[in-house]
Amino acid sequence: MGHDLTGSSGNIVVSWERFCEGSGFLLSMGSKWSRFYRKMTALGFEGSANKIGVGVVTLDGTILSNPRHTYITPPGQGFLPRETAQHHLQHVLPLIRSALETAQVSAKDIDCLCYTKGPGMGAPLQVAAIVVRVLSQLWKKPIVAVNHCIAHIEMGRIVTGADDPVVLYVSGGNTQVIAYSEGRYRIFGETIDIAVGNCLDRFARVLMLSNDPSPGYNIEQLAKKGEKFLDLPYVVKGMDVSFSGILSYIEGTAEEKLKNNEFTPADLCYSLQITERAMAHCDAKDVLVVGGVGCNVRLQEMMRTMCSERGGNLFATDDRYCIDNGAMIAYTGLLAYAHGMPTPLEESTFTQRFRTDEVLALWREKEPRNLNGVMKEST
Amino acid sequence: MTEITVFQSRRWRLVSPSDLEVDYMSEDNARIVYTALAVDKELQPDKVKRQMSVIDGKLLVHFEAVEARFLRASFSAFVDVLTLATKTIEEFGQGMEL
Repeated sequence: MGHDLTGSSGNIVVSWERFCEGSGFLLSMGSKWSRFYRKMTALGFEGSANKIGVGVVTLDGTILSNPRHTYITPPGQGFLPRETAQHHLQHVLPLIRSALETAQVSAKDIDCLCYTKGPGMGAPLQVAAIVVRVLSQLWKKPIVAVNHCIAHIEMGRIVTGADDPVVLYVSGGNTQVIAYSEGRYRIFGETIDIAVGNCLDRFARVLMLSNDPSPGYNIEQLAKKGEKFLDLPYVVKGMDVSFSGILSYIEGTAEEKLKNNEFTPADLCYSLQITERAMAHCDAKDVLVVGGVGCNVRLQEMMRTMCSERGGNLFATDDRYCIDNGAMIAYTGLLAYAHGMPTPLEESTFTQRFRTDEVLALWREKEPRNLNGVMKEST
Repeated sequence: MTEITVFQSRRWRLVSPSDLEVDYMSEDNARIVYTALAVDKELQPDKVKRQMSVIDGKLLVHFEAVEARFLRASFSAFVDVLTLATKTIEEFGQGMEL
């Protein structure tokens, strides 16, 4: 479906926003205007890993609701695709109702339905895709497929106000250093084997730590009590990093050295080196940390030091936004939709592998910057 | 009928109830489920075949597999998403009010 200006009142508002672009008019008029005209609104679904989330967001980045439910496995166990999908199946429909009720919107207020296309685990991804395809037909609303990594970046940018940062994306499934250049988010460095969060999660299993609220959080709490520092065999190859060696080593030696080592910081600093190189490469000053591991306070401290040494700022979000959620999918999907990029239903597939640089980030080229100003929400 | 042929022995010729029929009593709803589920193809098309059709408000699904275990895995996963699609219609279909 195209983006026609003769359609619903929502579409007219967009043209108005574009008209006001750069004038700053919307900044002063925004709240009054929205009383009469609805803002473009999206419903977003995230289910690529062990969290299922549904969020309602408007184009200015206001999060109207963002409920989620996490599949927590017993200590010593990770989450497997089938069981995780079962978890999502049980929770997705109540979450939709909760998201709509909290946001006080109904189907008629929604402009588009956004879902995570990938990357992630196949069976859990399918849950969100199926629901969106059914709702799209019931409510006669267009679908927008969203790249999970890009959703983290866009959510981080709108929440922190970071304009054009180098992005460190660290989570259970991904470790990438990303910067925007000429229409796409380019990957400057990444892990060549497992993600840093995967390394942490699996280490937590060795220690039989609780997975509630997350294994990474519990490692961090434990690491605060650590005194001795253990040298770990880290690997940096060119612009890429590797964590599997660290995991093997720590698994092998955990038994005896368990008590005193402080694992977290030693591990995380290597992705930091790559970020620093990417910053030098792009001549960027600011860094944005996103993804589940981005909540790690020690990592944020180290990044902050590095940024200040380079005369830049560190932008990080708290656990509401850096952990997977539906709002980030809704917001990123809405950006794509507002720039005329919906996904036909028959193409609304999901895929386990979906690289960040496959997506054309059209909205970055002609971004209504004053809108960013309106939505900026400090954390 | 779904036919499972066990290759090792020709005498084994399992005919199991792997034709699935769901009566939505609504052409629209059956069509919605059909369209939602038709997007995802079978992951191993050389081992499992799935054919769907909508007739008289009913969704008909026919499975064929080269081995029982492929049929079981595919059928089980399919029933999960079929149930999800159906529940989504029940919950958010016509007359949904907030």
